[in-house]
Amino acid sequence: MIDVQNLSKQYQIAKRDPGLAGAVKSLFSRKYETKQAVQDISFQIQKGEMVGYIGANGAGKSTTIKMLSGILTPSSGVVRVNGIVPYENRRRNASQIGAVFGQRTQLFWDIPIRESYHLLKHIYQVPETEFQQRLEMFTDVLDLGPLLGIPVRQMSLGQKMRAELAAAFLHNPAVVFLDEPTIGLDVAVKDRIRAFIREMNRQQETTVILTTHDMQDIEEICNRIIIIDGGKILYDGALQAIKERFGDKRTIHFDLEKNDGFTIPYALATRVEQVVSHREAAGKSNSISLSFNNAEITAAEVISEMMQAYTIRDLTIDEVHIEQIVKDIYERGL
Amino acid sequence: MIRAYYEIAKSQVKLDFAYGAWFWSSMVSSILQMLVLFYFWRAVYANGPSELHGYKLDDMITYMVVASMIGGYTNGAGGKLAEDIRGGLVAIELMRPYDQLSKLVALDLGGKFGYFLRNTVPILVLAFLFFHINLPPSWGAAAMFPLSTALGVLIGAQFDLLVGIMAFYTVNIWGLRVLRDAVLLFFTGQLVPVMLFPEWLQSVNRFLPFQSMVYVPVSIYTGALRGAEAWVQVGIQAAWLLGVFLLVRWTWSRAMRKVTIFGG
Amino acid sequence: MRYLRLYGHFFTAQLKVMMEYRLDFLVGVFSVVLIQFTSVFFVKVVFDQIQSLNGWSFYEVLFIYGIASTGRSIHHIFFDNLWTIGWQYIRNGEFDRFLIRPVNPLFHVIANRVQQDGFGQLAIGLILLLTAISHLSIVWTVGKVLLLIVMILSSGAVFVAVNLFFATLSFWMVDSLPIVVGVFQVAEFARYPLTIFSKEIRGLLTWVIPYGFTAFYPASAFIEHSGYQSVALLTPVVAVVSCWIAYWFWGKGLRAYTSTGS
Repeated sequence: MIDVQNLSKQYQIAKRDPGLAGAVKSLFSRKYETKQAVQDISFQIQKGEMVGYIGANGAGKSTTIKMLSGILTPSSGVVRVNGIVPYENRRRNASQIGAVFGQRTQLFWDIPIRESYHLLKHIYQVPETEFQQRLEMFTDVLDLGPLLGIPVRQMSLGQKMRAELAAAFLHNPAVVFLDEPTIGLDVAVKDRIRAFIREMNRQQETTVILTTHDMQDIEEICNRIIIIDGGKILYDGALQAIKERFGDKRTIHFDLEKNDGFTIPYALATRVEQVVSHREAAGKSNSISLSFNNAEITAAEVISEMMQAYTIRDLTIDEVHIEQIVKDIYERGL
Repeated sequence: MIRAYYEIAKSQVKLDFAYGAWFWSSMVSSILQMLVLFYFWRAVYANGPSELHGYKLDDMITYMVVASMIGGYTNGAGGKLAEDIRGGLVAIELMRPYDQLSKLVALDLGGKFGYFLRNTVPILVLAFLFFHINLPPSWGAAAMFPLSTALGVLIGAQFDLLVGIMAFYTVNIWGLRVLRDAVLLFFTGQLVPVMLFPEWLQSVNRFLPFQSMVYVPVSIYTGALRGAEAWVQVGIQAAWLLGVFLLVRWTWSRAMRKVTIFGG
Repeated sequence: MRYLRLYGHFFTAQLKVMMEYRLDFLVGVFSVVLIQFTSVFFVKVVFDQIQSLNGWSFYEVLFIYGIASTGRSIHHIFFDNLWTIGWQYIRNGEFDRFLIRPVNPLFHVIANRVQQDGFGQLAIGLILLLTAISHLSIVWTVGKVLLLIVMILSSGAVFVAVNLFFATLSFWMVDSLPIVVGVFQVAEFARYPLTIFSKEIRGLLTWVIPYGFTAFYPASAFIEHSGYQSVALLTPVVAVVSCWIAYWFWGKGLRAYTSTGS
């Protein structure tokens, strides 16, 4: 479905000296520097795959996605989406892809979303019956019923994202790019959105490329991940392998009632490690952080052992962040 | 606190310079406009009497140049304010440790500094070298002109905020701005010198703040207003400034009450 | 044909929005009428002092104004989104959205907005035209009426072409609004008889930024003593050529955008 070979992209960026003097100087002459956004990457994605495309900000994620969707022309290398070269045949490529770009909306700001969907139907030339069927199904799965008559302007973030997803899938695209589809949403909405994506993939064999910072998104949606950093691919393979190595690391922060010396309970001693958290560093001495591997011991066990030994006022469990994994890969290798 | 506003103004100057294209194009377009005005009035005088209400061609050119120069400053931060209101930023800005309206005025003054360099200076150079505009007739007029101009510009800045606040009540900010532009262009005397207005319109205009923005300072420059009469007009300018300022504060506090109660 | 139908769908959606904000609709229309009215008033005030401007009477100048306003309303109602391509779409990356749609991006930009204020422009333009015509002794034949319509459409097309050309600069400089605004201001003054300007400026308004063809030249076709009746007939040609140049330039800008991604 997607074929990327030796793809590279460089940018020219205008440089400016700081301060007012620099601003005045920039009126007369500008210096440029070249930035290598993506460097010689290759991968293939099959029809129906759901791939997590992961990297820190500025790693080259969005540059790649833009090249796949035809917004950017590569400096060198080959891109094919369903046999079409996106930047040469942009409009043909456009009718077979769909996209959700994070906080940006593709719906019309002041028009009820029902009207937006109608317009999209005409833009993508979706046959009326198909359109009706699909809209019905989306309304059901994404619970859009009460929203159809409301313009995006008046929607909450979660409502907007649901409306946005429906718009991206309306023309039944072969490939969908989702950029941070769950950012800032509450758990219930996240679940609904993930379920929707899985459902679309199951029914239509839609290929999904997902960029996210949310580990949960990847676990629940993707069967493969590609990690990119500094414009190069660091890892491309099954999620499981990465998870076993890095993803099962958890940290729990406990706030203890009393502060009279802490030792790790005997039952946990070999499997849990005490770490210095930022809260302790900030001087909250009755705050204890324990780090462990989820494959060796569950969070529930750790908590119950701690509760037997100490009076606990509060606790929080840290999720594993993609950034952490990328950093770990750097430090420890694969 | 003054220091903070100074830094805000400076940041706007930097921002203006960052958009190099803005700078050059705005300069060229003000020169072009000046040229067109010049030719227009030349043609009018070539077709008609040698004097219009005591203004000869060179007086009229002087009037037009100075008026469009000052006219460029009659806008303000109202557009930014309206954007902030629409984007819901005012509520967030309420938490910041400065007065929002003063901040906007500071931003605007910074913007005006850039405007001075890119529009006023080239127009002045062009006007003195090629159009041979007149100097103020006396030292007194020359000294009073900046004072009167400053008052006019400040009235314009406050009035613009007033228009901006209207964004609480209407979505079509653009329409409001066009409306404001139309009213200002005409009633300030920027397009047609107020003395050419029909009698009845001149009397109406006497009770409006607009001629204080442009017509009064320009008339002081050309010497049409002088002596005690000029001081009276400057006094009226000061009164308008105070009046518009208070009106802005009042509508603002009313609008803010609406924001804090209904959440914008 | 497909695009025409598609435009219809965009248009009806926009109309619905307009009806939701009726007050704003009125504010917009009223403000445009007022701003046009002030410039007519300007001419009136000046003509109170003189008989004619280089041989053009008050109503003949009004006729020029009428053609300019009506022509401009076409641009104002349907192509208003060109103004803010940079500010609204390119600066913040929203333009990408148009590139992943299976329609011509320029069409999409244009169709995305119907400017209600333009209806005020249209109204005042027609009023000016009718007022001027009723005072002028032009003999109206079917051919002349058709010619007037062609001239007005051409005037609108020149406005669109010039704006598109300068708006396209946004692809290189993020926001070309200052330039577009600056250039557009020049149009305000191209509504006077061009003969009042120096040779250089006349040349500029004829050959470089052809605003002369939005008002003065098309009006000349109907005024016998204008001396420009033959040049006037070039108006539709100029309109087509400028649209072609502007669209070619737009294509170049689009390619620049897709290779830098700004």
